[in-house]
Amino acid sequence: MSSPRPAKHRVLVVEDNPGDVFLLREMVNEEPNSRFLVTAEAGRLEQAMEVLKSEQVDVVLLDLQLPDSHGADTFTILHGAAPDVPIIVLSESDDEELALETVQLGAHEYLVKGRVDGHLLHRALRYALERARSEMQLARERDLLHTLLENIPDRIYFKDRQSRFIRINRALTALFGLERADEAYGKTDADFYGADHAGEALQDERRLMETGEPLLGKVEFETMADGRKTWSLTTKLPLRDRKGRIIGTCGISREITEIKEMEEQLATERNLLRAVIDNLPDLVFLKDAEGHYLLDNAAHLRWLGAHDASEVRGRTLFDFFSDEIATRLHADDMEVAASRLPKLNQEEYVIDPQGNLRWRLTSKIPWLDNDGLCTVGLVCISRDITEQKLAEASLKQANAELAASREELLRAVEEVKFAHSELRDVQLQLIEAEKMKSIGRLSAGVAHEVKNPLAILKMGIDFLSGQKLEGEHTSMILKEMNDALARADGVIRGLLDFSAPKQLEVKRENLNKIIVDGLKLVRGEMKGSFEIERDLQPNLPPLDLDAGKISQVFVNLFTNAIHAMGEGGTLSVRTFTKQLTGVGANVGDSRSESFRVGRNIVVAEIDDTGNGIPEDKLAKIFEPFYTTKPTGKGTGLGLSVVKTIVDLHGGTIDIRNLHDAGVRVTLMFQA
Amino acid sequence: MDTPSTKKRIFVVDDESGFTRLLKLTLEHTGHYIVKEENDGTQAWLAAREFRPDIIFLDIVMPKIDGGDVAQQIRSDPMLARIPIIFLTAIVSQTESKSEIGGFPFISKPVSLEAIIRCITEHIGE
Repeated sequence: MSSPRPAKHRVLVVEDNPGDVFLLREMVNEEPNSRFLVTAEAGRLEQAMEVLKSEQVDVVLLDLQLPDSHGADTFTILHGAAPDVPIIVLSESDDEELALETVQLGAHEYLVKGRVDGHLLHRALRYALERARSEMQLARERDLLHTLLENIPDRIYFKDRQSRFIRINRALTALFGLERADEAYGKTDADFYGADHAGEALQDERRLMETGEPLLGKVEFETMADGRKTWSLTTKLPLRDRKGRIIGTCGISREITEIKEMEEQLATERNLLRAVIDNLPDLVFLKDAEGHYLLDNAAHLRWLGAHDASEVRGRTLFDFFSDEIATRLHADDMEVAASRLPKLNQEEYVIDPQGNLRWRLTSKIPWLDNDGLCTVGLVCISRDITEQKLAEASLKQANAELAASREELLRAVEEVKFAHSELRDVQLQLIEAEKMKSIGRLSAGVAHEVKNPLAILKMGIDFLSGQKLEGEHTSMILKEMNDALARADGVIRGLLDFSAPKQLEVKRENLNKIIVDGLKLVRGEMKGSFEIERDLQPNLPPLDLDAGKISQVFVNLFTNAIHAMGEGGTLSVRTFTKQLTGVGANVGDSRSESFRVGRNIVVAEIDDTGNGIPEDKLAKIFEPFYTTKPTGKGTGLGLSVVKTIVDLHGGTIDIRNLHDAGVRVTLMFQA
Repeated sequence: MDTPSTKKRIFVVDDESGFTRLLKLTLEHTGHYIVKEENDGTQAWLAAREFRPDIIFLDIVMPKIDGGDVAQQIRSDPMLARIPIIFLTAIVSQTESKSEIGGFPFISKPVSLEAIIRCITEHIGE
């Protein structure tokens, strides 16, 4: 077995002359080491076309003069049917012109019949085949280039040395608003672009052609002739011929208007964000997972005492804070980074780089990668709350002070209240005194004007009483006159007593003795069947009393009691000491300090068995000139004088009806 | 009847002439007293020097001059200083415990003859 020989190239012979066919087959097949083999023969063009359709043929040997076709048409028809198959034309010796024409039409070679030998034929076959292959390669490359140029969205052009377009692709054709690319050929940028860009591009291209240096990735702002503005990224290269001479330029340009706009938008957003964080009063900063500062806003830079971001970026807490504070803050950062849980609004105190104690309210948020698995760093927002802290502290202090002042104020108010009540008492006393003063003046006037005439009358009566006078009624008349005079004098005396200057002359006195003396003085008033019951506590403590005035009080009260009983009754008088256990009648009104619970007091009680005082009149009995007695029986001043005197002694007086009958007068004095 | 030399000399100063006239009448009627009345307080001191009384009854409230001032004038006169002065007044109640005004004893008007005589006896004897 010999080694497999490579497959031979298949040859189609189209020839109507059987002798020529034989000869050609011999020459093709019999040449030593021939790589060609006649695999098909056709005497007519029609037959040849059939073969090309149905069989694989690598090369054709074609006689132009066939029964069904002549001349160049024969070639054209067959070549049209199989353009990739190389054709070698066989011509008659007298028709070389025709053969040459077919070469121009695409024939690979022509051979003149009769002047062909095996060697020449084989060379022509090989050459045709080789040319066909390279042509195919070329065509493929041309197709690739064509596809590229026609389909790529980037704009591609070729220009000659005068920067005139010699080739542009479809994208650029579209940009120029042309239907066909060749409409642009021979024109320049100036025909399509605004003058600015066209001029600059021309400069670039001239420089490029001089230096041979390509222009790579230039961002150009282009204004189209119609005013449209675009951004593009352009690369320009020198266009060289095969000898390396620069014969023009070519370029590829990509419109990046959208990218550019996005970029600008991004830049705007970035600037906006930057402006936002820089204008925030809060401290905003980012750190990487190791605690290096990555980004700081203006407030944070200021706070750290830095003038520029570069002084902070890449540094850590330890560059700005004491080791102790940095360690504490860093541990906290690392905790957030490790746990991936944010810490929000933590109060922390630090000594800032200027050495001031500051309070901050800080939130630390872990900054995770896109998968949310890994901590890339920390986002921190911090607010300096030192002022608030200080304000809070001073507020607390102010509150405490306020509370203290409030206490003081309340105390002061109490004092004022007390003072006010004292003042009111004094005022009442002053009003009372003023009232008494005017009553006093009035009384003195009345007394003077009335008592002087009375004195004359008295003298007259006394004189007449000493005479021996005629008439049985004379002495009776004198007595009546004397009584009337005494009565008038009594009214004036009462008035004077009531309005007399209120000054006491107190001594240690025995109340019982005053009472006993008083009872003696009123004995004359008892005209009827009266009984006197005395129950006087023997060891009564001595009291500070004005004996004359207190005597006046008892005489007055006894007289009232006797008058109330009319024809007869029982007058009871008791004295005793007691300890106050509660506030009794009238005691509550007393301004005296003496009538506090627990104090010892001396009580005198006077009961009568008369008819009592009508309840509606009880309230008025201490008013001056008020009396329940019939006209001529009382001045109406007695009880008001009594009350005044008792008040002056710091005592109390209470008058009330007894349950069964009569009136009880209760006097109390401090022991 | 006492002789004029043994009769007590009573000087009464009061602007109420009715009162002084009746007092003089009544006291002198007893036969034991010689009474000199003076109704103008401003004249009282000179009248007293002239009359040389054993006792003086002096009204307090008088026009032109106060009884107290008259008492001062008389007290500052060595010739009269030792004569007892009893005030007579209508504006003091007898029931008041005080029986002196400015160190002088007093009697409240109206006053009975009996009280006057008791007062005279008390101060200068029978």
